[in-house]
Amino acid sequence: MKLKEIDRTAMQAWSPAQNHPIYLATGTSAQQLDATFSTSASLEIFELDLSDPSLDMKSCATFSSSHRYHKLIWGPHKMDSKGNVSGVLIAGGENGNIILYDPSKIIAGDKEVVIAQNDKHTGPVRALDVNIFQTNLVASGANESEIYIWDLNNFATPMTPGAKTQPPEDISCIAWNRQVQHILASASPSGRATVWDLRKNEPIIKVSDHSNRMHCSGLAWHPDVATQMVLASEDDRLPVIQMWDLRFASSPLRVLENHARGILAIAWSMADPELLLSCGKDAKILCSNPNTGEVLYELPTNTQWCFDIQWCPRNPAVLSAASFDGRISVYSIMGGSADGLRQKQVDKLSSSFGNLDPFGTGQPLPPLQIPQQTAQHNIVLPLKKPPKWIRRPVGASFSFGGKLVTFENVRVQAQQGAEQQQQQHHVFISQVVTEKEFLSRSDQLQQVVQSQGFVSYCQKKIDASQTEFEKNVWSFLKVNFEDDSRGKYLELLGYRKEDLGKKIALALNKVDGPDVCIKEGKQESEFLPSAGGTFNISISGDIDGLITQALLTGNFESAVDLCLHDNRMADAIILAIAGGQELLAQTQKKYFAKSQSKITRLITAVVMKNWKEIVESCDLKNWREALAAVLTYAKPDEFSALCDLLGTRLESEGDSLLQTQACLCYICAGNVEKLVACWTKAQDGSSPLSLQDLIEKVVILRKAVQLTQAMDTNTVGVLLAEKMSQYANLLAAQGSIAAALAFLPENTNQPNIVQLRDRLCRAQGQPVPGQESPKIPYERQQLPKGRPGPMAGHSQMPRVPAQQYYPHGENPPPPGFIMHGNVNPNAATAQLPTSPGHMHTQVPPYPQPQRSQNGWNDPPALNRVPKKKKMPENFMPPVPITSPIMNPLGDPQSQMLPQQPSAPVPLSSQASFPQPHLAGGQTFHGIQQPLGQPGMPPSFSKPNIEGAPGAPIGNTIQHVQSLPTEKITKKPIPDEHLILKTTFEDLIQRCLSSATDPQTKRKLDDASKRLEFLYDKLREQTLSPTIISGLHNIARSIESRNYSEGLTIHTHIVSTSNFSETSAFMPVLKVVLTQANKLGV
Amino acid sequence: MVSVINTVDTSHEDMIHDAQMDYYGTRLATCSSDRSVKIFDVRNGGQILIADLRGHEGPVWQVAWAHPMYGNILASCSYDRKVIIWKEENGTWEKTHEHTGHDSSVNSVCWAPHDYGLILACGSSDGAISLLTYTGEGQWEVKKINNAHTIGCNAVSWAPAVVPGSLIDQPSGQKPNYIKKFASGGCDNLIKLWKEEEDGQWKEEQKLEAHSDWVRDVAWAPSIGLPTSTIASCSQDGRVFIWTCDDTSGNTWSPKLLHKFNDVVWHVSWSITANILAVSGGDNKVTLWKESVDGQWVCISDVNKGQGSVSASITEGQQNEQ
Repeated sequence: MKLKEIDRTAMQAWSPAQNHPIYLATGTSAQQLDATFSTSASLEIFELDLSDPSLDMKSCATFSSSHRYHKLIWGPHKMDSKGNVSGVLIAGGENGNIILYDPSKIIAGDKEVVIAQNDKHTGPVRALDVNIFQTNLVASGANESEIYIWDLNNFATPMTPGAKTQPPEDISCIAWNRQVQHILASASPSGRATVWDLRKNEPIIKVSDHSNRMHCSGLAWHPDVATQMVLASEDDRLPVIQMWDLRFASSPLRVLENHARGILAIAWSMADPELLLSCGKDAKILCSNPNTGEVLYELPTNTQWCFDIQWCPRNPAVLSAASFDGRISVYSIMGGSADGLRQKQVDKLSSSFGNLDPFGTGQPLPPLQIPQQTAQHNIVLPLKKPPKWIRRPVGASFSFGGKLVTFENVRVQAQQGAEQQQQQHHVFISQVVTEKEFLSRSDQLQQVVQSQGFVSYCQKKIDASQTEFEKNVWSFLKVNFEDDSRGKYLELLGYRKEDLGKKIALALNKVDGPDVCIKEGKQESEFLPSAGGTFNISISGDIDGLITQALLTGNFESAVDLCLHDNRMADAIILAIAGGQELLAQTQKKYFAKSQSKITRLITAVVMKNWKEIVESCDLKNWREALAAVLTYAKPDEFSALCDLLGTRLESEGDSLLQTQACLCYICAGNVEKLVACWTKAQDGSSPLSLQDLIEKVVILRKAVQLTQAMDTNTVGVLLAEKMSQYANLLAAQGSIAAALAFLPENTNQPNIVQLRDRLCRAQGQPVPGQESPKIPYERQQLPKGRPGPMAGHSQMPRVPAQQYYPHGENPPPPGFIMHGNVNPNAATAQLPTSPGHMHTQVPPYPQPQRSQNGWNDPPALNRVPKKKKMPENFMPPVPITSPIMNPLGDPQSQMLPQQPSAPVPLSSQASFPQPHLAGGQTFHGIQQPLGQPGMPPSFSKPNIEGAPGAPIGNTIQHVQSLPTEKITKKPIPDEHLILKTTFEDLIQRCLSSATDPQTKRKLDDASKRLEFLYDKLREQTLSPTIISGLHNIARSIESRNYSEGLTIHTHIVSTSNFSETSAFMPVLKVVLTQANKLGV
Repeated sequence: MVSVINTVDTSHEDMIHDAQMDYYGTRLATCSSDRSVKIFDVRNGGQILIADLRGHEGPVWQVAWAHPMYGNILASCSYDRKVIIWKEENGTWEKTHEHTGHDSSVNSVCWAPHDYGLILACGSSDGAISLLTYTGEGQWEVKKINNAHTIGCNAVSWAPAVVPGSLIDQPSGQKPNYIKKFASGGCDNLIKLWKEEEDGQWKEEQKLEAHSDWVRDVAWAPSIGLPTSTIASCSQDGRVFIWTCDDTSGNTWSPKLLHKFNDVVWHVSWSITANILAVSGGDNKVTLWKESVDGQWVCISDVNKGQGSVSASITEGQQNEQ
C-alpha cells in the first residue's frame, strides 16, 4: 500500500534506525532530468508522519545544493542514544566528490551544512556504504576500480582496501559485511564482485559466474549469514539475482529469476532476512525470499521503473522507491486498503498536467508514464509470508487464580537455510504467589473461625496491636465473645463499676459521710416527737396554706404548681407521684425546664429514657460518655440503633480522629456494614494487607453478631459484599481458591458474589459431567437484536443449563439459583424452551443443594436462633431513676411487658438500688451499677444481650430467680489449690500498686476478673492434672519472683494442653506474668 | 513465588504466538505459526487435547475466550486476514463465524466486557479496527474504523465495564449506562482510545503519545473499584509505560515509564486483581512488576520457563530510572 509520495527525481536515504521521528532525505539525482530540464539541485529532508493520512510528506528542510547526486546515505555516526537528529548525510557526487552534510543543521535551516568534502575519486561516486559496527567508517566506490575507506573522524586521507582490481572498471556497488566488520564487497557492471579483507588489505575472493552477462547493479550481504550475499544484474538478457555463498564460490547457491527485465536496485531487509526487495526495468517491485527464491509480494505500482529502493531502517514494514517518472513513493508491505488515499492521487495527477508545458509551446507534453490502470483493485494484499517482526515469540498472560501462562520460543538462527528445529513447543502454567503474609494471616483467620477460638485470637491481636486505636477495636471485638459484654464495653470506655463504686463510697465517706450520719441522728431526734404527736394543718394564705388547701381538695396539679413555683422541688415531685403518672411526667418536664445544672440533660435523658436525645445532641467530644450511657441503659431493640446513630454522627460531624472512633460504635452496634464503610473511609489503600486488616475485624464481628444477636446475620450489605468479594478475589489471585470460596458470603444474591462463587467452584476443577447430556443448541439461544444477553449454555455443565449471569439491571435470580452439580437432571429439559433474552428468568424451581460445609459463613445452627429471639421478651428495660420513689411511668413499651405492673405499685427490689450519685461538677460521670455483675457466674450470662447493666429492674427478674441458687452452688476452691488463687491475686495486687499508667491497671483489673474462670475450673475440678501441676509450678516461680521461668512454664502448658481447656485464663495469666516481670514487683 | 504447576506440551509444529486460559482457568487455548488453534483441558495439572482447530491459512496470532455466559466461544485472528469465531457444540468445537473484512494480517482480538453483549474488537495491519457484534440468529454486525493506525494496529484492549467512580453511587436496579471504550496500539507509535458515541459510531477520544516506535501491546487494567483507569503499553522501543487517568471525564492521561528494556517488548498482561503486570520481552524474558507504595514500579520476579522467585522486599531497586 502506498503511504506517501514526493514529486522528486532524487536519490533517497532514510534516517538511521536510532532516529525518531523518521526522516527521508532526498538529493537531486544526477542521472535524470525532470520535465523542466532544470539543472538546479537540492537536498531535502522530509518527515514520515504516519498519523497523517494524506499522501503528502511533510518537508522539514530544503538546502539548495550545487551538486547532483549518484548516491546518498545517512549514517548514524556520532548519534546520541536519545535519537536527536544527528548522524551524517553522505553524498556521492558527479565529479568524484564525497560530501558530508549535517542533517540537523539542514533541518535547522543553517547555511553552513557541509561538514566536509573530498574529491579524491575520479568520476562519479556511485557506491557508498557505512560500516554498521564502526559507523565512522564509510566505503566508497567510483570509476577506475577506485575504492576508498573513509574515516569520518579523519576525513582528509582515505585508505584503500588493497590494490585496485584489474582491468580497471566502474565500481557500481559496495557493501560492508553485516556480521564481520572488516569484510567489504564491491561489484561492478562487468559482473565481477570482489570481497576484501581489510585486515589483510587485499581481495580474498572474487565472485563471478563467468557468463559475462551479469551486469551488477546491486550487491547485498545476508543480514545474518556472514558468508552469503546476493548480486543483481541489470542486463535484460540475464535479469537475475544470484545468491552466493562464499564457502562454495564456484557457482551461485541460488538464482532468482523473477524479473522479466534487468534489475536496477535491490535492498535486503535488516529486520527479516527472508525479505529482499528488487526493482527492475519491467516496472515491478518484488519482495522475494532469497533463501527460497519465492516471490512473497509484488508491490502494486503503476509507476515507471524504479532506480533506487530502500527499506526504512526504523519501521521495517516501510520502504521507499524512487522512480524515473519523478516520484519517490513510500510503501507499506503489510497491505491494506488504499481507499482513503487514492482520491488524492487522482487530484495530484490532474493538477500536474498544468505544469507540463515547460517550453511554452502551448502543447503540453504527454505524460511520461504509462496510462494509469483504472480498474485496479483497491485492496492490496500483504506479504505471502508474515514478516519476522510480527511473529510474537514470547508471551505471558495472567489468568484466574493467580495463574500465569507463559511460552517462549527459543530463537533459532536460520543457518544453512532450513535447519532442523528441534524446538519443543511448551506452554507453562505457573502459580504466582506474591502475598505470603496476607496468605498466612488469612489462613490463621480461617483456623480461628473453625476452632472458634475467637477470644484468644482477639487477645493475640490486642497484644500485637501497633496503635491504640487498633487495640481498642480488637478489645471491643473481643468483648463480644465474653460475658457481660456491655459491662466490659463500659470498662473499655473507662467506666469500671467497681472503680466508680469505690470512688463514690470514698466521696461519701470523706466528705458527706460523717456529716450525714450526724445529721441523720439529729433529724431523727427532731422528727421523732412530731411523728409521734399531732401536726398542724395550716390553711393560712401563704404558700404552705395554699398547698394545704389544694391538697385538701384533691387538686394535686395546683399543689404541684405551687410547690414548683416556690422552688420546693422535692415536694412537687412527691405530690406529683400521688397525682398520677400524667402529672408526674408533666412535673418532671417542668422540673427539667427549670433546672439548669450541667448534668440535667443527662438526668433528663435517663428519666425520660430519651437516649436518642443524648446521642443526637451531646458534644462529640463526649462520645465515650454517650456510648457509655447507651451501653448502660438502652434496651436491646434500640441499642444497636443508638450505637449506630452515635457512630454516624461521629463519622459525619467529627474530625478525622473521631471518625475512626465511629468504628467502635459500630462494633458495639454489631453493624458490620457500617463498620466496613467507616473503616474503608478511614484506612485508605486497597493493599492486600489492609484489606486483611478489615476482613479480620469483619469476620470476627460477624461471628459475634451471629452468636449474640437475633438479627439476621446472613444478609450481606452491598459494601461488605464488595469487600468480601474483593478479599476472595485477592485470595484467588494468590491461588487460594478454596479459601476464597470459604470467605465468600453464603446467602447473597449479589451478582458479583454469585458470579465469583461460580467462577471459584469451576476453577477448582470440579469434574465435568458427561458431554453427551442434553444441552441448549447455539442457534436457539438467540440474542435479541441489539440487546446483550445470554446466548448459549455451557456444554460443560449440561445438566445445569441455567446461567448464573444476568445483565445488570435485571432482577437477580434467587439465591438458590446456583447449581452445584447434584441437581435434578430433568430440570434441564424444563430449561429448553427459552425465550430470547429472558433465559435467566427461567429458574428451575429446584432447591439449592446442600453444599459442603466448608463455608464458615454458614448461618448459625437453627436451634440457636429462636432461643435468642426470645430474649427480648424476658428483657426488662432499664428503670428510670424515679424508681426508688415510685414505679416508672410514661413508658408504654415497658408497660406492655407482662411482668411489668402497670399500676404505680412499689417494687420490692427497688429499695435495694441506691440513688446514683452524680457528682455535681463532672459531666456524665457514669452511673452506679447496682447489682454486682462480677459475681455473676459465666453460665448465667452467656447470652450477651443480657439486660443493660445499668438497668436494675430489667435484670432483677432474672437475678431474683437465679442469683440465690447460683450462689449456693458455687463450690469452694479445694484447699490444695487455694494457694494458686492467693498467689495470683497477690501478684495482681502487687502489680496494681506499682503500675502507674491506667492502661496497665485496666489490663490487670481485667486479668484479675478473668482469672475467675480459672478459679471456677478449680472449684469444679475440671482441669487436667498436668495443667494443675503446671499452674502450681507457675505459682512457685511467682513466689520466688522468677517471672521469666513462670512464662516458660506457661508456654509449655499452652503448647501441650488442650486449647479450649486453657484458653479462658491462660492468656490472661501470661499478661499478668509479663506485667509482673516488667514492673519488677 | 512463581512455580510451574503444569507444563503443557502443545505439539505445535511451529512457533506458539499466544496461550490463553478461559474464564475459569481450566482450559488453555494456544495458537501457532503452524496455522492451528488448540484447546487443552488443563484441570488438576492434566493436559487433555480437546480440540485441534484448523481453518486459518496463515500463522494464528492471538486467541481470546468469550465470557462463559455466552457459551464456550473462542476467537482467533491470523495473518491470513481472517478472524474465526469457534464454538463448542455438543462437545465438539466448530467454526461458527468467519470474519474476512480485513485487508491484511489481523493481529489482535479482544472480547468486550460481557455486560455489553458479545462484541469482538479486531486490530489489523491494514490499519483498521473492526467491531463484530452478535445480533442473534448467527448474525454478526460489523463496524469498522478505517485508518485507526497507519500501517497497522497491533493490539486492542477493552476498558472494564465499570465506569470509573461509579462503583459506590451506582443506582441499584437500574441498568448502568456504560460507556464502551477500548484502547488500541499501532505502528504509528500511538495508543488511541476509542469511545462509542450515542449514535453507535466509534470515535477517537484520545491519542496517547510517548513511544518512539511501534506500540506492540496495550492492556487496559481490570477495574478493582478505584476511580483511576490504568493502561499498560509496550513497544518496539523497549519501553513499557503505565498510563493513568484520574479525572472522571477520562481525558487526562499521564504516562509513567515502568522500564526501558534492551529489546522489543511484545506483550503486557495484568493480573486479575490489576496489581501485577507481566511483561514479555523479545529476549524471551518474562518479568513481573508491581507498584510500590511510593508509586514506583518495581520488578518483583524474573520468570524463566515458568519459574521464578518473588523478591520479598518491594523496595529492592531493580529499576533503571530512565
